[in-house]
Amino acid sequence: MSEAFVRATALASALGPDLDTAVERLSGAPLAPARNTEAGGAWPYFSIPVAGDDWMKRAEAIARAVAESLRREAALAPGEWAALPCIIGSSSHSVGAWDKGGWAALVPPLEFSRMLAQSFGARGPAMLVNTACTSGLSAFDIAVSLVASGRFREVLVLGVELSNRLTVAGFAGMELLSATAARPCDRARDGLVLGEAFAAVIVSAAPGPWRIAALASGLDATSLTGPAPSGEVIAGTMRVALASAKWTGAAVDLIKLQAGGGRLGDLAEARAIRELFAPPPQTVSLKGALGHTLGASGPAELALTLASLAHGRVPATWGFATPDDELGLKPAGGDGKGVSRVLFNLSGFGGNVMSLALEKSR
Amino acid sequence: MYLLAPTVLRIAPEALPAQVRARFGSELRRSGAFAQLCMLGAQACLDAAGEDGPLAVLWSSRLGALHASRAALDESLQRGEPAMPFTFIGMQPHLAGVLLAQRAHPVTRSAHLHLADEDWPLLLSMAQGWLAECERVLVGRVEESDSGGVAHRSDWCLLRKKPLAGAIRLEPAPQQDASLAATAEDWIARVAAWAIDSKAPLLLRGGDQAWRFTPKK
Repeated sequence: MSEAFVRATALASALGPDLDTAVERLSGAPLAPARNTEAGGAWPYFSIPVAGDDWMKRAEAIARAVAESLRREAALAPGEWAALPCIIGSSSHSVGAWDKGGWAALVPPLEFSRMLAQSFGARGPAMLVNTACTSGLSAFDIAVSLVASGRFREVLVLGVELSNRLTVAGFAGMELLSATAARPCDRARDGLVLGEAFAAVIVSAAPGPWRIAALASGLDATSLTGPAPSGEVIAGTMRVALASAKWTGAAVDLIKLQAGGGRLGDLAEARAIRELFAPPPQTVSLKGALGHTLGASGPAELALTLASLAHGRVPATWGFATPDDELGLKPAGGDGKGVSRVLFNLSGFGGNVMSLALEKSR
Repeated sequence: MYLLAPTVLRIAPEALPAQVRARFGSELRRSGAFAQLCMLGAQACLDAAGEDGPLAVLWSSRLGALHASRAALDESLQRGEPAMPFTFIGMQPHLAGVLLAQRAHPVTRSAHLHLADEDWPLLLSMAQGWLAECERVLVGRVEESDSGGVAHRSDWCLLRKKPLAGAIRLEPAPQQDASLAATAEDWIARVAAWAIDSKAPLLLRGGDQAWRFTPKK
């Protein structure tokens, strides 16, 4: 089996249309999200600052801009780029097209994935995976398996979550949304804040800036809405990631937290971290800056984490002010120059739990 | 890698609820027709394989739970009623992984993919990659019927890293004239039919990839 690397990343998010803008924005004052009035609320909502009345045309415009950024960074030969297979992670695919376009505007997920691949000029097989909040990292996992098996040398992974009424109405109906703000790990956190993101990653067999040292996965069947409060499956998944990467806990420089904003989910992750690490290494959450971008959150948070580290920074965790003693986590920004090993956690609805170990290439 | 228990289910839509109750003793909580269909096929395959232990689950479809998604839009946004939990984030296909795990099959990895007909060999490449991390991968293709008179389809097989008595050897093969074009819809059914009385290897292709199935010894 071959090794796999992260070759290039790109991102459009509430922080801006590209990663450089996002990293710069993240070093300033926190962004105030817009408000979404679906389901009778005024929910904070992180939108990509790209206007457009036609949902599908807006999606294509965002896709083309992200593709252009990625193409520059990846520096693949035109033939290699054109041959890229495209694996898309999304929980809502193109359901937002229904909001204004009605039934006629709805397209099956497979057609939507082909349309996005086409926007990137990627002519290899296109497919879409939905494992709820871990969709994008599941797509990444599949890409790694295709590279490791030798089937492809490079694979394009997209994490796509764009505005739609159904997702907001669904989360509002389950009373999971915060009416105030995203506050990862903060004592006053009161739910999740949704956001849009369109992220792209190229997984490659050719050495790149970050080596994928391990990607562990688990399924916590305790509840359909999230991990068991004990954090047992999260701890087990991180343990497998560390073992596969041949790292000790002390070797980890930074943990990118899931920190979705729910009290039980956050507690489960914190318990798992405290079980494995004594004391926990530096931690960061990006949901105060991007919102919870659901199926896009894996590639989106990965792109932003690696871009920040490339600029020598661990970004501040926006929304975190007062530690919660029950969690015992204090995400903090700072100098990122010494960070060479990152553990990247993600979990979500349906019980999927993932832990990605990334090592800076020498 | 090795393939066990190619299993083909065709279920008339009106018979699905009764079959679910008969196999699982009750309705599967919170699951729609697509997840129920996945469960029936996956469980039938595991029963036929006759072994237990941790597994990964990888299954595909062309449309997924499109009917459930349409119903959620109709209920939630047109009529203002709460949508069936989890349907609002297109999670009905993914539920099958959790439901399997809740029935004492430790699931370490699971993903449902919307995959084109000709790309079915990619599932085998993905499973091959996953087998580096686990011993068994359950692979399926599920399609919910969208018209009366057409049966639901739920086809599954179990892939293993190590050989086992009765297992079919499975390996990538160079594209050859001798290979037969197969689709995501029919490749498991063709393997199942061939496996009944297999003497010579079976070569199936999809897109630019072919796989060789060598008879069990």
